[in-house]
Amino acid sequence: MDFWHRIMNIDRRWIYLLIAISVTFPMIVVMKFPVRVTPETRQLYDAINNLPDGSVVMLTFDYYPNAAAETEPMSVAALRHMFKKNMKVVTLSNIPLGGPTIAERITREIAAEYHKVYGVDYVNLGYKANYNAVMHGLANSIESIFPSDYTNTPLKDLPLMDSVRNYNDIKFIFVVADNATVDYWIQIVNAQYGVPVGAGVTAVVAPKMYSFVDAGQMTGMLGGMKGAAEYEKLVGHEGKAMRGMDAQSLAHLMIILLVIVGNIGFFVTRKKDSEKS
Amino acid sequence: MGDLTFIDHFQLWLRAYLILSLFSFLYRDNLFYRFSEHIFAGLSAGYYVGLIWQTVIIQQLVNPMIDNGDWWLVFPGLLGVLMFARLTRKWTWVSRVSLAFVIGNTAGIYLISSLHGLILPQMLSTMKAVNNSGSFSRILLAVVVIVGVISTLIYFYFSKEHKGILGATARVGIWFIMIAFGAHFGYTVMARVSLLIGRAQFLYYDWGTSIRQIF
Repeated sequence: MDFWHRIMNIDRRWIYLLIAISVTFPMIVVMKFPVRVTPETRQLYDAINNLPDGSVVMLTFDYYPNAAAETEPMSVAALRHMFKKNMKVVTLSNIPLGGPTIAERITREIAAEYHKVYGVDYVNLGYKANYNAVMHGLANSIESIFPSDYTNTPLKDLPLMDSVRNYNDIKFIFVVADNATVDYWIQIVNAQYGVPVGAGVTAVVAPKMYSFVDAGQMTGMLGGMKGAAEYEKLVGHEGKAMRGMDAQSLAHLMIILLVIVGNIGFFVTRKKDSEKS
Repeated sequence: MGDLTFIDHFQLWLRAYLILSLFSFLYRDNLFYRFSEHIFAGLSAGYYVGLIWQTVIIQQLVNPMIDNGDWWLVFPGLLGVLMFARLTRKWTWVSRVSLAFVIGNTAGIYLISSLHGLILPQMLSTMKAVNNSGSFSRILLAVVVIVGVISTLIYFYFSKEHKGILGATARVGIWFIMIAFGAHFGYTVMARVSLLIGRAQFLYYDWGTSIRQIF
């Protein structure tokens, strides 16, 4: 068997190993590939940045823990940006697994960095089933949908929620999602109630979102780990996404190389086989 | 990461064990992989049941009835109970009452949101592209959008055989669809690599800190 036939019949575990090496190598040797900010990320950053200090914003944690590598850096960077501008942050999740607990953990961590007080500067509403009903219900009364917060404290005992009754009191909704809930934040909350919506989404969801940004239905977007890294760059705090971009770039170069080698191998072996036969 | 407590170390090692067990499937199926997979499935189901019980049954049904005297909530509660009739062959038909309510309600919500929030704004945005004027690049972009939308729609028009002008336009549509698939594929690769990076970062930074502190 010649070289190209061996390549075409290579055990796929060698490819796994190559990808694993290209992901772990940049953690040992830092390369600092450049991260360019895209217009969609800039638009989202500017939308938050241009809100008056002290505005109430809603940050959603609509993602499962398996997507945290992409979405958690977005949430962290968004919280840093909001707290830096002294905004009041209301968090919630339309996803039962992961979202509510991740929201509780990281909002408390980032809030502590900026000396923010729970109930005064931020509130975690937690999770409620049936996101369609939740999105419509919040338009009338947040308290009717979330009578208490994530830790079971009644909303009437939280000073921030005295002035936040429904969408009218919320200036911007920053959705971080790994699934179709972001579509409904746009189609229900933005389209029917007129609240500006921006989103950070996983790379799988991102291509679909460009049409919403182009149509003006969404105010900016972060796409995958790259989008998270761009937002971290704009906020001025290097986090997990920026650190992961070297690995991301190297893994992509490796995949491109494998695609090229695989294609050359395909055509060469096909030609050789047809000559033989 | 500062000094870790015993609990921190235990959590980090447990997470590392589960990650490595699941990755071991890349070599071949094995007992460690299946054990971790079953733990994940069981924990997820148990957590979900507990969460729904607390956030829906207790907070939205039981508490309002007891605290506020909202006894009318018995009716939606009853509709929920009727869904369990599907578990018996004899009484399955009873669950159709609840399903009829759910389907009617969902169809109504989706109809409005799709029309008002998706179809009309997207059509409007496409038509705005026609009015694009100014720089050469904007006009070119408008042409691409119009040609792309029309040819892709024609590709999905199956009431007439794709021959002649219709066939040629549909073939242009296929190119646009292929380019869209390429963009989706590229982003999907990025997403999957990101997941691997997330786990690698955990093993290298977080678990690595625990290893260094212990040894």
